[in-house]
Amino acid sequence: MLQYYIRLALKSLRRTPGLTALMVGAIALGIAACIVTLTVYHAMSGNPIWWKNKVLYAVTMDSWGADSPHDPQHPTLAPPQLTYMDATALMRSDIPKRKVIMTQELGTLTGAPGQSMPMHVMARATTQDFFSMFDVPFQYGGGWHGADLAALPEIVLSQEVNDSLFGGSDSVGRTILWNNIRFRVVGVLRHWAPLPRFYDVVDGAFATPEDTDQVFVPFSWVTTLRAMPDGNTDCHIHGPVANYQAFLTSECIWIEMWVELPNAARRERFQAYMDAYWAAQRREGRFPRPLNNHLTNVSQWLMINGVVSSDSRILLRVAFAFLVVCLINTVGILLTKFLRAAPTVGVRRALGASRRQIFTQHLVEVAMVSMAGALLGLALGAAGLSGVQAIYAQDNAYGMLAHFDPLGVAWALALAALSTLAAGLYPAWSIGRLPPAGYLKSR
Amino acid sequence: MALNVRPLLSSLLRSRTGAILVAMQITIALAVMVNAIWIVSQRIAAIEQPAGIDDRNMFVVAIAGLSSQFDLSSALTQDLAYLRGVPGVIGATATESVPLTGDGQDTEIFLQPGQRGRSATVGELQTDTEGLKTLGVSLLAGRNFRPEEIQPFSKHSLEQSVAEIIVTRTLANVLFPGTDALGKVVYDGAGRPMTIIGITHDFMGPVDLGNPKYQTALFPRIPGAFGAYFLLVRTTPGRLDAIMRTAQRHLAGASPNRVIFFAHPLSFYHQRMIAENRNMAVFLSTITAMILAVTCLGIFGLATYNVSTRTKQIGTRRAVGARKRDIIAYFMVENAFILSAGVLAGCALALAVGYWLSVRYGLPRLDLYYLTAGVLFLWLIGELAAWQPARRAASVPPSVATRTV
Repeated sequence: MLQYYIRLALKSLRRTPGLTALMVGAIALGIAACIVTLTVYHAMSGNPIWWKNKVLYAVTMDSWGADSPHDPQHPTLAPPQLTYMDATALMRSDIPKRKVIMTQELGTLTGAPGQSMPMHVMARATTQDFFSMFDVPFQYGGGWHGADLAALPEIVLSQEVNDSLFGGSDSVGRTILWNNIRFRVVGVLRHWAPLPRFYDVVDGAFATPEDTDQVFVPFSWVTTLRAMPDGNTDCHIHGPVANYQAFLTSECIWIEMWVELPNAARRERFQAYMDAYWAAQRREGRFPRPLNNHLTNVSQWLMINGVVSSDSRILLRVAFAFLVVCLINTVGILLTKFLRAAPTVGVRRALGASRRQIFTQHLVEVAMVSMAGALLGLALGAAGLSGVQAIYAQDNAYGMLAHFDPLGVAWALALAALSTLAAGLYPAWSIGRLPPAGYLKSR
Repeated sequence: MALNVRPLLSSLLRSRTGAILVAMQITIALAVMVNAIWIVSQRIAAIEQPAGIDDRNMFVVAIAGLSSQFDLSSALTQDLAYLRGVPGVIGATATESVPLTGDGQDTEIFLQPGQRGRSATVGELQTDTEGLKTLGVSLLAGRNFRPEEIQPFSKHSLEQSVAEIIVTRTLANVLFPGTDALGKVVYDGAGRPMTIIGITHDFMGPVDLGNPKYQTALFPRIPGAFGAYFLLVRTTPGRLDAIMRTAQRHLAGASPNRVIFFAHPLSFYHQRMIAENRNMAVFLSTITAMILAVTCLGIFGLATYNVSTRTKQIGTRRAVGARKRDIIAYFMVENAFILSAGVLAGCALALAVGYWLSVRYGLPRLDLYYLTAGVLFLWLIGELAAWQPARRAASVPPSVATRTV
């Protein structure tokens, strides 16, 4: 029976090629628009470490000045970074399973065998838990061990740096100069560039190639070298800082801190630890603003820091409005098309076809249209995405942002199938309800 | 026009499903179109905001020292001397940050010492006497820095104060609304005085301080406090690429213990600055155009269907004396009814969406002028979409009435 319906549907579709093309085209356009915006939205709002969302927390304390909040537009938010004093104090706690502090440091790499020109690299200065905490994949070796404060000159290279300096070979154990200090390579990453870069949204959640993290060095080297951080630094007390020591003990914020707290109990204990530290410091005249210590998980962190721009949300909604218009259009065309064929339906009904059979027959036709539309929509969506990618590439921004992810495709297909079937239900049903007698009479 | 509306309406109401569907498309299309164009117009305004500097003819070379042996001060002097001698270079200067990058230093300055009085957040641009010429910025009042006013290079230069600054007109107005800012004294956060010696036309500095974008000030200072500096170069039109290539090659070998981090034309940063707004404008316009196209196809489809199912009726009307233009008018008016119903609902939806956007995303409230224009535009293209089917209806010969189907 189904085969017969398919044959009937093909026949009917072929009878009006213009209308068929119009329906398929409309559905395809609507789906393509949804695929493109959904993919961009997904890439920008995605949580690249969703599997650890319940245990990773960004640490914030409001150490800002009494006069005004750090961000006047969001007065309830604590600043996204910590002072050196607070970061090192919180690092002393044993409550978190893992804990990291970090900043960015521009520097140069020299001394690799066969390297003629110095290489300018963006280094992430961080502590040893960074790699295990964020599940960073290694190609060779691993992170550095031992206390960071002992500051062994050890360095971890990204795959890209290792490829260009060591031709991709296992460079663990080799030495290299970072800012003219001899470092031993202890690990080489496999390509790792989470998008958005959740762990440092302050310095850009969508880093351009020029400021992605290329090497990783122990945090204590920043202070050992008395280097000013190259990441974002905010000071609420205006005016100069006398010397490096004064910078370290200043109220300037420049350090991102993350902790891994495996359960609610530990979370509460760490929150209490922070609050107690805050109270003790306040007695000594710091923290003029009200208590605002926060542990924020990754997805909330991305949200409150505005990583997902409202633009992409608006676009997503516009795309859905477009899909709705396309579907309404299809319903209209299907209705008129089916009604035109009403006399034939009248004959079939008179010959004994049940309403249900008429309904199924037309639904098969609808399903074929929707399938063709979905497939064409996928192709158009892929083309649209490469267009979007070209636009982004031209701006040097958002790197490899808009990739075609399989989950998005599955979603789009399901969306296409469901919405078109839903759109086809009413026309198929209404044609089945027509009384056959009238159409037979006019023949 | 003696057009009887009653039979038209009753026939419309008898087969209303198709008309309702088309009206719904028009409703959504109007709401999306009006709000999209409203958003796009604001984005275009933001894109067209002039940078105020001659960014099309400027490039930047970033230089960083490699080791403590790097003699930054003399390298910088040599670099500038070389660049200023290149034919085709209008001006060259060294800075601590690059205009239009969004990356640089901002400070708070006050009208009274001790962080009191009116204050303003200022985007800083460190430069020497060649700064104005290199940026292509002209003075509206006052004078340029004198050579002896330029603070020499020091590792702690950012901690030292400057005695003179040059500010933009916008910044002067923010600090001294209604009075002449020239010659007035302002104070940095540490309470040290700075005299405003010059006021320039508006230009964008390195950091984006939101609105207004032009709160920029020039500080007379040789950069390099972080062991790196940027060379800003302005060339005569058309020479940028060639000069940038030669300069890059020369500077790479000019002094030891340093690297060229990058070299970019300033248009690269301008492009990046406007990219988000431009992309939004492009995406929104594309989707809106597609919605309009699909809606017009819907209108066209309905009108075609109506004409084809009423061939006999049309023939009869022609046979009893209706002129061609009566038939055309009939279908156009029928279409106008559908359009009007859709547009009316669309106005309500457009206003609701506009209100929601302003509440949810803080966009400015929808301008009613845009709504009016949108209604007229949609009405016009809606009638155009029905024109061809109506013409075809008019060409139905009266003899059709005498035949059976």
